[in-house]
Amino acid sequence: MDCTSFTTFSEFLKSHSLWESLVCRMQTSPLPAEAVGSHLWLIIALPLLGAFVCGVFGRTLGRENTYLVACGAVLGSFFLSLIVLWCVNDYRTAIPNVYGEPIRYAVGFDYGTWFSAGTFTVHFGLLADHLSTSMLLVITGIGFLIHLYSTEYMSHDAGYWRFFAYLNLFVAMMLTLVLADSLPLLFVGWEGVGMCSYLLIGFWYEDPQKAFSGRKAFIANRVGDFGFLVASFLLVGLLTAFIAQAPNENFSGRDPAGAASRFKSGLQTKGPLAFGALEELAKSMPHGASPSRVTLETKVATGPLKDYTYGGVLTAILLFFLLGAAGKSAQIPLYVWLPDAMAGPTPVSALIHAATMVTAGVYLFCRLSYLVVLSPFAMAVIAVIGGLTALLAALIAFAQDDLKKVLAYSTVSQLGFMFMAVGAGMFWAAFLHVVTHAFFKACLFLGAGSVMHGNADEGNIRKLGGLRREMKVTWLTFAVATAAITGIVPLSGFFSKDSILHALHTTTLYHYPAVLHFVWFIGLATAACTAFYMTRLYVVAFEGDRAKDARVPHAHESGPAILIPLVVLALGSILAIGWGLPFMENPTGVGPKQTPMENYLWPVFATANGITANTGWVRVEHHEGLPWGAWGLAWAISLVGTTIAVVLYRSYFPKRAGQPLPGPIEALRKLSYNKFYVDEIYDTVIIGPIKFLAFMFYRVIDAVVIDTVGVRGTAWLTARFGAMLRYAQTGDAQSYAAVMAIALATGIAFAMFKLLGGP
Amino acid sequence: MSSYDSRLLNFVIFAPLVFAALLMLLPKNEKGQIRALTFVAMLVDLVLAAYAYVRFSNGGNAEFRLEYWASWVPEIGLGYHIGVDGIAASLVLMTGVLGPLVVMASWTFVQDKVKEFHLALLILQTAMMGALCSLDILLFYVFFEAMLIPMYLLIGVWGSEDRQMAAMKFFLYTLVGSLLMLVALLGVYLIATPAGAHSFDYASIYNGLIGASREVWACSKTGACNLSPAAMALKTYGPYMFFAFALAFAIKVPMWPVHTWLPDAHTQAPVAGSMILAAVMLKMGTFGFWRFAVPLFPSVAQGWQLPLAVLSVIGIVYGALMCLAQRDIKRLIAYSSVSHLGYCMLGIVAMTPEAATGSAYQMLNHGVSTGALFLLFGMLYERRHVRLISDYGGLAKVMPVFTAFFVIITFSSVAVPGTNGFIGEFLVLLGTFNSNLPLWVGVLAATGVVLGAAYMLLMVQKVFFGPVTRKENQGLSDMNLRELATALPFVILVVVMGLRPQPLLRVIEMSTKPFIARATLTSDTSDDKVRVVVRTPPTPEAAPAGGQVPAVGAVVPPEIRPEVRRPFGGGMKPMIQGAPTILPAPLMGAPEVQR
Repeated sequence: MDCTSFTTFSEFLKSHSLWESLVCRMQTSPLPAEAVGSHLWLIIALPLLGAFVCGVFGRTLGRENTYLVACGAVLGSFFLSLIVLWCVNDYRTAIPNVYGEPIRYAVGFDYGTWFSAGTFTVHFGLLADHLSTSMLLVITGIGFLIHLYSTEYMSHDAGYWRFFAYLNLFVAMMLTLVLADSLPLLFVGWEGVGMCSYLLIGFWYEDPQKAFSGRKAFIANRVGDFGFLVASFLLVGLLTAFIAQAPNENFSGRDPAGAASRFKSGLQTKGPLAFGALEELAKSMPHGASPSRVTLETKVATGPLKDYTYGGVLTAILLFFLLGAAGKSAQIPLYVWLPDAMAGPTPVSALIHAATMVTAGVYLFCRLSYLVVLSPFAMAVIAVIGGLTALLAALIAFAQDDLKKVLAYSTVSQLGFMFMAVGAGMFWAAFLHVVTHAFFKACLFLGAGSVMHGNADEGNIRKLGGLRREMKVTWLTFAVATAAITGIVPLSGFFSKDSILHALHTTTLYHYPAVLHFVWFIGLATAACTAFYMTRLYVVAFEGDRAKDARVPHAHESGPAILIPLVVLALGSILAIGWGLPFMENPTGVGPKQTPMENYLWPVFATANGITANTGWVRVEHHEGLPWGAWGLAWAISLVGTTIAVVLYRSYFPKRAGQPLPGPIEALRKLSYNKFYVDEIYDTVIIGPIKFLAFMFYRVIDAVVIDTVGVRGTAWLTARFGAMLRYAQTGDAQSYAAVMAIALATGIAFAMFKLLGGP
Repeated sequence: MSSYDSRLLNFVIFAPLVFAALLMLLPKNEKGQIRALTFVAMLVDLVLAAYAYVRFSNGGNAEFRLEYWASWVPEIGLGYHIGVDGIAASLVLMTGVLGPLVVMASWTFVQDKVKEFHLALLILQTAMMGALCSLDILLFYVFFEAMLIPMYLLIGVWGSEDRQMAAMKFFLYTLVGSLLMLVALLGVYLIATPAGAHSFDYASIYNGLIGASREVWACSKTGACNLSPAAMALKTYGPYMFFAFALAFAIKVPMWPVHTWLPDAHTQAPVAGSMILAAVMLKMGTFGFWRFAVPLFPSVAQGWQLPLAVLSVIGIVYGALMCLAQRDIKRLIAYSSVSHLGYCMLGIVAMTPEAATGSAYQMLNHGVSTGALFLLFGMLYERRHVRLISDYGGLAKVMPVFTAFFVIITFSSVAVPGTNGFIGEFLVLLGTFNSNLPLWVGVLAATGVVLGAAYMLLMVQKVFFGPVTRKENQGLSDMNLRELATALPFVILVVVMGLRPQPLLRVIEMSTKPFIARATLTSDTSDDKVRVVVRTPPTPEAAPAGGQVPAVGAVVPPEIRPEVRRPFGGGMKPMIQGAPTILPAPLMGAPEVQR
């Protein structure tokens, strides 16, 4: 559609249809990109200010005012994000990127140097493109709903001001994460959300178990951050080596020499870890033998990375980033913190541990998509890790009885799906799942919170039951969200999960042809498992009769501040299908139709797609028309899971109530219930030895070897030496005289000997 | 530079001492007045130090600024020569900032021998400022040693139950190192400056060694060992002298394995002692490496780069592991210093600009965050007089404001981005990864990121979270206004230094470049990159060039302007004044520069 002649809506309507006019209105921002870009900081500053006000003055302001400040700050950011969305969609928007070249569909601004030393520089640069903007809306939109929900959920808690301060701080940090234009600034948000998560998980700090869970989360995240940091440092080394080694031929375009010099001067002013620099690096790094250019197979000539190939270093970097992402997004081997994180208040679980923070790893890989596609090995590893995590978490979720624990493992599992998509190079599918998952999982968690709120904080599904009749709105929204995550047809989860499975099925990594196929099978199995455990959860908690050992005889439905967010999120999980239906023309003109999400994110992943097209390392089979076969298969699978769960928990188990399970099944249940003893294994294999080592070092090396043998030993030796000398210092004049006489005599004898011409 | 500027550092150094003299006049039992006067003294010193910092940062492009020189003992070439470069100016500023806060922190803590306590604080302040500003090696040594006595008293008199042992251990440990340093210092004095014109001036010594260092480097790398006498001496004795310097400073830092005095000293010291020890005195060690040990013996430092880096990494990891095994809170914070100072040392030995700047910034960060940790724990100790983690628990319930402060400082200590700690650690690690050191050094050092969080948060959890387990803790009062006012500056510094580090980094960078050039000296490093250029006194080599040397008379006040002396015995360096051009070159005692 051509919007170039659009000036005002009413003018345009005279010559065009209403639909076209609306679309062109949407694509014509009322504010200039420069103005929006230079005010991006406000989006972060609002919740930050809110956090400060709530944290410092919250108790003085009182409950209602604190609610107002906290919710108002996030709502304000939401409206600002809408303006950014409008501006980013503007067909005219073309801001200069860090190297002065225009980039479209993004607004950004550089607020000056953060820190610099030697040749290294980081700027306070913010950038909102289609990817960031979508995240902005998810964070502030869902964030606002959850703030609203919390006003009722935390209405009896004396620490409300602390809670809202942390929550606002979290939103600010998450917004920093998605708006950052460089890795170090992203890392501010990355660690900042981890810090807020630590504070919020341990919010009820008087319970030592909860305080422990917070610490466990922070430290698991820190292990990931270690990976993130190492990856960043290696990346700086790689860029430095590349700049030193790459000839002008490496830079494409009409004017390679100009591009090279622009790149170098850009690096100097904006620093090596700005995303623009990394994108440029990825673009200029072809593969294959080429005598005149630096390629992925070239060896680094100078510096600390000498003699490694560029491709090899890049793979190592991505694997370190994977460790970082695994920490934040709860993947193997660092997923263990997320289930424990459920110790925090339920709104926290919904916002941080389902909708936003845990997707940061996926966001990171989407942001660095151009680097990811340069390393098929890293892609294969990401896909396999995602697949295994998805399956493992789903299997653990089978036997959990705690409402929030099941949801937590299901989150781990769904994040695994997103990683599978990243591994297949289908970044848009991963991100679509991020968005739809944000809706339905937030809805599920908030529903769980509503259930606990109405049942005197009872979280064990076996002690609930029959809630369908007691909490109508909660039931309905929970059912919708369950259907969405299960993958029942007209709901969002079906389309997003199916996009991933479809992508795994049709994509092949050239070097590792079997991997994605294997992961596809895992994905299918996990989808069935998801259907099973989610249906089990729903059936046991909401259907049937009320449990006999329920904590309260009748549950009470929650108030409007809880129910409104639930309804909005349930509607969201239905309406989000709009992003998942493939009906848009492919911008390249060939290939199948695209989903709106894929189309929308096209500019973001253009570089990655270009690289894939050049290398041929990620091959996608295109099918014309809609993927009916794949849809049918996915639907059938989720139906199978659902049916088994319904049959088992509606008829089989109720009939056999009181009888023990058959031996092997009980053993499996126990294994799953105890989370395959992973926590215990970590305790014995890693944490125990470190503690023992620390203790041994302290008691043996520090106390005995250094302090006793080394330091006191020296002192002892000195003292003994002194004591020995003391024998000479008797104070007896006669013996002194004797010594003097002997010495004198010896001296004289020696002199005589010399004089008389000895040998 | 006005002549006022040249006196500025004198005021910075001696203002506390002048106030100390005033303090002597106060009666012993006027505790309030004593405290107030000391506080005013420290405040004045802070203003002077801050002014000096501002004057430094806007003061042109000489490496050393705000210089002042006066003759002291010309017979041995000892002058009173002070001046600061970027790192010294930064540390001077931090010392100044800490001064008033330390007095406030001990306002109610010290009730015994109040006058002596504050005298010790003021004298210590003078000694620390003097050591940072000295541009004469022997003068540095004098101040360096002078710090020892007040600190010994602080620990030994106002410390906890085991104070005698800790003070003695601190004293002897440090003394062993510094005596060895004295020997090395004399050695370097004899080698670097030619017979007949020996000088302790930093510039003369460094510039005198440049040529010899180049030859030694060439000899060790290429085997071209046709050495001049000075270079021969440097080659033979250089390693010993380097290790004497390095040992003295390594004990001060403290590096593994000579760190065991620190936990004892910190544990026993009063809050003021711990704060000063952590924030300033440990930095004398890293500062010493930066200013003396590495630049004076670059080829030894380069040859021993990997072992030194390994010791630093051991410090980082080992210190963190020690923290995990501690039950005493102060001991834990002390061991965390070992870990943090490991980063500083790693930054220095990595010998890249990023790492060195990060190292210097980390010195400031550690001063802020560890100083604040000791301050905050001091408040707890004042209330309960116990130090074990198990004596506390659930304090967040009874002392919410205190907990908030402690947690913020904890985040700074574990280097969460947005706080000051992050900038330093990030730069040090970045510089280490991109240095000559093998990659595994950087990777191992980066594990400190994880361990640091592990021990700090473990302690925070055990002390502040969970239920209140002891009834003694139930009635603890939260921070009062004075305590709030003492702790607030630290929190502000944590945030400001984390978000706007650039102004501070810019000043540090001014001395990073020369440091790196000196540390990485090779046989073809050009003279003007490494030469120490000072304004007063004109360096012997620079003098014949005439016009380059600014008029000495403008900066040196007439009353102490040295007389031109005929050296007796024909061996002493003549002290010159007025226009140097009219003096014949031989009289200048210009040494042969080894080129």
